[in-house]
Amino acid sequence: MTEFLGYPFFQRALLAGALAALLCGALSFFVVLRRLAFVGSGVAHAAFGGVALATLAGLPPGLGGLVASLAVAVATARASESADVTEDTAVGVFTVAAMAAGVVALGFVKTNVDLFGLMFGNILTVDPSDLLILAGATAGVLVALAFFFRPLLLASVDEEGARAAGVATGGMRLLVLALIAVAVVVALKVVGILLVSALLVLPGATARPLASRWPGFLTGSIVVALISVLGGLLLSVALDVAPGAAIILLGAALFVGALAAARARRA
Amino acid sequence: MNVGVRFESVGVRLGGRPVVQDASFEIRPGERTAFLGPNGGGKTTLMRVLLGLLRPDAGRVVFLDDGREIPRPRVGYLSQRSTLHADAPLSGVDLVALTLAPAAGFRGLGPARAEARVALSRAGLSADKQTLPVGRLSGGQRQRVLLARALAGSPPLLVLDEPDTALDAEGLATLRRLVAEEVAAGRTVVYVTHDSDAMGGADAVFSVDGRVSAGTPLHSHGTAS
Repeated sequence: MTEFLGYPFFQRALLAGALAALLCGALSFFVVLRRLAFVGSGVAHAAFGGVALATLAGLPPGLGGLVASLAVAVATARASESADVTEDTAVGVFTVAAMAAGVVALGFVKTNVDLFGLMFGNILTVDPSDLLILAGATAGVLVALAFFFRPLLLASVDEEGARAAGVATGGMRLLVLALIAVAVVVALKVVGILLVSALLVLPGATARPLASRWPGFLTGSIVVALISVLGGLLLSVALDVAPGAAIILLGAALFVGALAAARARRA
Repeated sequence: MNVGVRFESVGVRLGGRPVVQDASFEIRPGERTAFLGPNGGGKTTLMRVLLGLLRPDAGRVVFLDDGREIPRPRVGYLSQRSTLHADAPLSGVDLVALTLAPAAGFRGLGPARAEARVALSRAGLSADKQTLPVGRLSGGQRQRVLLARALAGSPPLLVLDEPDTALDAEGLATLRRLVAEEVAAGRTVVYVTHDSDAMGGADAVFSVDGRVSAGTPLHSHGTAS
């Protein structure tokens, strides 16, 4: 395995993995805290429709994915403010609509879009320009999270209390969903649509039972994401399996282990 | 700051049903004002309008400082049913400090945390409980955290929505003492209650049942003046 560490493509994969883990691990804290697991998954899946429609229109696929994810994020946030639609219903409707539009679009265009790569990612083919985009997006999302951390945290645990304190809770909900959309699109190449949605949930879900206060919860979420991605990459080489699947399976194993540890601690 | 509040022909409809109609009254600064009335009469709705959590369908709410119209000031609020997640990964100090300093920015929470500890101690939560996650506190202790959040930072206006429902006898005695201290310090206290004696009397009383009408001020132990 050590010879792999000397290959530039594998070094880029490790760096991309670490950046995606930082990005998704930090966001996973808010995804789990705000019970947005389904919403995060929906925003990730909406990117599929955007990529397909952009391909049909001859536009950059990443741009299409970003626009579709942001559109679903905004529509979900707006719809959930209405008394007639709940957040999970809104995301359920908009996500399947975006994916269906993608399927229709792909039917019209003879394309060599790598659907398997889109769904599961291909971290071993990350090039320097992908790394730059990922690094820039990760830095931007982390700075935004740090700047808005206090109102985001307050609105995430007590919406009415936050509103009474003057926090624009609707804006905070939209901000989280928009940051998720950005993370989804830039992490697509690394872990794919299906797996980025898992990476937005698993780290936070794993850290939550082990940490009683937010500093441990947030740090744990990022650490679990790093262990899952970097450990999964090394495992994929050692066991000769697909890296995306190895990352998520390791993350799922850590989640089960965390639940068992939390249960043992309470017993 | 001596804050008063004037409701001008406020009307609120919820689900198409009128809950409050043509409510015009004034909450005088530095006084203890009670809102009494049956369940569903619109008391909590009025408080939510006062707090800016609900936009009225008609009329407006005006905040006054020495008779001069001002923007909505910081309001300390103890809600009837808190929306705080039972498993929130925050201690009492975290929650109160975040409420005191909720604005975005890169500054630390140090001064707000110090002020939060003072408010939690005033509310009767012992120092060893102040840093525990709120999920590990008893119902009464959690209510003290929420009370501390309402009092922290000495807001000029304090709104207590049925504060006696979730507090034990000791907590209620603490609350009455704190309300008396707040009023003595010139702050305006508004509370909603079924028990007119809950806060040790009121300088002004309004009866709410779809419409708002002025009642008789109450001395302690519910005696009309």
